[in-house]
Amino acid sequence: MFRNTSSLIQPLVFFIIIALLFPFSLPAEGELLQRIGGGVIWVSAVLATMLSLESMFHSDYQDGTLEQMLIHPRSLPLAMLGKALAHWTATGLLLTLFSPLLCVTFNIPSEQIWVLFAGPLLGTPSLSLIGATGAALTVTLRRGGVLIAIVILPLYIPILIFGAGMLTQTAQGLEVASQLYALAAILALSITLAPFAIAGALRVTIN
Amino acid sequence: MPSSKVISVKDLSCTRGDNQLFDAVNFSVSGGQCLHVTGPNGCGKTSLLRLVAGINFVEHGEISWNSSDTANNPNFYSECAYIAHKEGLKNELTAIENLRYYQQLDSGTDEVALDDILDKMGILKCADLLAQQLSFGQRRRLSFARLLIADFTLWILDEPFTGIDTSGRNLIESLCVEHLQNGGLIIMTHHQSLVDSPLNQYRSELKLGRA
Repeated sequence: MFRNTSSLIQPLVFFIIIALLFPFSLPAEGELLQRIGGGVIWVSAVLATMLSLESMFHSDYQDGTLEQMLIHPRSLPLAMLGKALAHWTATGLLLTLFSPLLCVTFNIPSEQIWVLFAGPLLGTPSLSLIGATGAALTVTLRRGGVLIAIVILPLYIPILIFGAGMLTQTAQGLEVASQLYALAAILALSITLAPFAIAGALRVTIN
Repeated sequence: MPSSKVISVKDLSCTRGDNQLFDAVNFSVSGGQCLHVTGPNGCGKTSLLRLVAGINFVEHGEISWNSSDTANNPNFYSECAYIAHKEGLKNELTAIENLRYYQQLDSGTDEVALDDILDKMGILKCADLLAQQLSFGQRRRLSFARLLIADFTLWILDEPFTGIDTSGRNLIESLCVEHLQNGGLIIMTHHQSLVDSPLNQYRSELKLGRA
């Protein structure tokens, strides 16, 4: 992945551009941007992850590596966990590192910025893991991207609700621990269950 | 390598959509034997190989390796190598890196010198070229180099001589003969006759497709 720099840069650039379109297109009221900023950053992160999912298994499928993984004696779910986490380091982790930067464009108060770092840090690995399941289901299709979006976006909604909700909470001076716990719980669930779902999906689709 | 290894297929059939490719295929291959699957295009040669390798699900029939089922059988998977048209090579990696990837997956050791294997396959000079810069034949040779990394007992080869020159073909044939003499098993498809090939004396033929 690191020799193929376009797959590394694309999601990040897409994320930043989507998020930056909002300040340009909305009325220049500082308070409005402040209120919607968190949500916009989260939606952009979800869309950028979405964009990178289609290519996740595509080259492995094309060059036959995926078939070799299927018949390898080592655990396929474990390999898929590694694959999803590798995907996360190139998408989710990068987006997380850049989201505090975007907070500046939305005029989000500095004491709230950590929320837009901690939230994505806990939430984006789940995006990669759940998204990988969708990518696995559509890997044999030529234009699987739209289908991935239809299958996966509804599953992203809980992460979006808890993630973006955190910012509203902090703006009102409330605790955000419950949302962080919820994101952590989703992450724990997706780390333990998604690898098996991905492996199962791949076995069925390659068949 | 003990010659007691045997793969047997009972009553295997394969359906693609509404189209039945083959029905009630039975065979048994044991150490030192090469099964040559023949038949016209589209008769299910590749599907048969994929079923045996464990990539596709077996719906009807059974495949057993040393009398235990092959499905989800790590013993079988660790002894079986499947080489097909899709070489399983990463374009972004060099030839030797591709090989090293499989070496670490398959044998977990660094003992076997990869350079020697590449040299044996006649592609040592391209060791540091990216896989996407290799010619088709060189890629085929590289994918066969994988067979030499670990001690695979069963080689499943889908059209091993496609896109490869005469010396490459001779090389692969001699590797196969060596493998068979050591008690290995080979299941391969090839659309041409193997009567003139050194493999002939080890070979039994399975004809697919209705007459």
